[in-house]
Amino acid sequence: MVAFDKCETRPPHIDVILNGLDRYNPETTTVFQDYVAQQCEDRTFDCYANLALLKLYQFNPHLLQADTVTNVLTKALTVQPFPKANAQAVSQNNDFVESVQKLSQLSTLLESAQYTQFWSTLNSDDLYADLTADVAGFEELIRIRIAIEVGKAFRTVSAETLEAWLDVRSRDALEKFVADVCGWKVENGVVCVPTNKENEARSEVKSERVGVDMFGRVIRRGFELPL
Amino acid sequence: MSYDDRANARPNLNDESDVEEEAMANDYREQVNFDDSMSELDRTTSLGGSQAQDLQAQLTAAATPLEYQATLETKFASYDNYCSLFHYILNSEGPVDIEIPSYYWAWDVIDEFIYQFESFCRYRNRVARTGSNEEEAALLRENPNTWGCYSVLNVLYSLIQRSQINEQLAAIKRGEDGAAFAGEYGSRPLYKMLGYFSIIGLLRVHCLLGDFSLALKTLDDIELNKKAMFARVMAAHFTTYYYVGFSYMMMRRYGDAIRMFSHILVYVSRTKNFQKGGNSYDTIAKKNDQMYALIAICVALHPTRLDDTIHSAVREKYGEQFLRMQQGGPEALPVFEELFRSSCPKFISPTPPDFENPASNVDPIDHHTAIFMDEVKNTLFNPTIRSYLKLYTTMDLKKLAGFLEVEPEKLRSWLLVNKQRSRQIRWVEGALLEGEPTIANDLDYALENDLIHVSETKAGRRLVDWYLRNLARVY
Repeated sequence: MVAFDKCETRPPHIDVILNGLDRYNPETTTVFQDYVAQQCEDRTFDCYANLALLKLYQFNPHLLQADTVTNVLTKALTVQPFPKANAQAVSQNNDFVESVQKLSQLSTLLESAQYTQFWSTLNSDDLYADLTADVAGFEELIRIRIAIEVGKAFRTVSAETLEAWLDVRSRDALEKFVADVCGWKVENGVVCVPTNKENEARSEVKSERVGVDMFGRVIRRGFELPL
Repeated sequence: MSYDDRANARPNLNDESDVEEEAMANDYREQVNFDDSMSELDRTTSLGGSQAQDLQAQLTAAATPLEYQATLETKFASYDNYCSLFHYILNSEGPVDIEIPSYYWAWDVIDEFIYQFESFCRYRNRVARTGSNEEEAALLRENPNTWGCYSVLNVLYSLIQRSQINEQLAAIKRGEDGAAFAGEYGSRPLYKMLGYFSIIGLLRVHCLLGDFSLALKTLDDIELNKKAMFARVMAAHFTTYYYVGFSYMMMRRYGDAIRMFSHILVYVSRTKNFQKGGNSYDTIAKKNDQMYALIAICVALHPTRLDDTIHSAVREKYGEQFLRMQQGGPEALPVFEELFRSSCPKFISPTPPDFENPASNVDPIDHHTAIFMDEVKNTLFNPTIRSYLKLYTTMDLKKLAGFLEVEPEKLRSWLLVNKQRSRQIRWVEGALLEGEPTIANDLDYALENDLIHVSETKAGRRLVDWYLRNLARVY
């Protein structure tokens, strides 16, 4: 598990800024903005750095670039879970409130696992297409995120349900997606998820840890001379 | 560095006071200058004396709370006082040698500094929001940089850097001698303590601004244990755990939050009798209740067995609310909100509000409450689901949906949400932000199409302790 403040794909110069006082320096805003654009392109995500950018916007509202903020938020939808606190704090006195609200609504749908509604909302308005345009492979990334969650809870799931959740139109497309991305198989209209740590749900009895050190006193007593 | 310029955003403030001081000194010099040989000596000593007195007054003032009904002028003046004091401490040539009024002074001064910052920001926001007091609004608009976020952060960061406290603490953590890394400033108790408590102050400021991950990151070099320096000042000890626990809670790491709150509450309940009568007793008692409320919230969202003392105290203070939150469902929502509002820190917004459009200013507390409540709403049905699943080993999804009177599709979503929430990151070792994902629930399940397989993790009987105790008695 990688800690929250670390990111494997983070370039060294960003790391330097994040660990120094320059993270408050308005001049670094552009550096962070470029970094966000890069993340959008190569499908990486660095939550800690993006929070630092949002903080700069929060402190210096005049620097705010609505596009970058929505990109950060859209990007954040593709990973889980993301503290949306800061994002909204920024939005308080700006006109792009509507976009942010829309994204926040999407986030709520994802968080509450209402995936079918998520896709129908996403496809209901052109504004969403604009918001997600900059994030390369947005739909793909969301599908993966949903598939991961499903894999944790299901051993088998009906293909129809999964089609609706992943917004995949045909059985062939579904078979291809689950086989390529997740390594699952579809048999007779049922998707089989191989057993993993999360979906086996084994009953177990947690027993007490018994170590020799606990008996230290008893053993020592055994060596002491009887009175 | 441009950051520094910006941070000292009140232009010429320090210069102004310097000029004034010099004028006063010149004045004084003229008065006492008899032009005889002795006067030279007299002048220096008496001047030194009066300055020292001023400084002592300033030091005491910096650690004393303002009156409740303090006017804006007083608040501005107090800010100026802090600026000149910190300027003197940080930017004199070499470390300054001052006698601090008491051992707790360093904590008190940082605590009060942040408290005044917090209450000023909230006051400013309120004036803008209600639009009631034109005069004050005008005054506040003209001074956007007074109690500015950048200046407050600048003070805290500068104190930390000057004292090289992070280097010292990191060295101690590695098992080396911290003093070797202290430098000219950090080896003096005044700077060391100011630096140390600034770290705690920073934790608090980040939390007030809603940046919980950064808040926890700030404590990277401090080890949370009873040997830590903050543990020597009760109020500091208390504050640290409150904000760390709260940050964890907002990051949905309820297990860790409960661990933090329980630790400090147990500690307080043991030392309570010593604290009575102290002037910080009231504040501590209030924060104490707030933490019990937060624990109740955390346990409702993340069922855990509590320490017996804590559990009975929660039941005693918030019995009914606790029960309702644990049962979940829509009736629990107002309870969650009420308890959260009364026990969260007083969040602030870092930038001056929009005085032109009072309606566009949101109370930061409302904002954070709304975010928290989103999560609560999302998990509202978890307790109900759990209570049903506990009764079965296998269960048909449609049948359960019938019991709960919801659509099967909806129940599937609930089950997914509940499953997600039962996985939590939990601290094991290292920095506060690190942790391992763990199963946070004794109830687990997996779905095979529409069939729910339920499994329960039970704790086995604990025999070793019993065995040892009996052994000790007879042998």
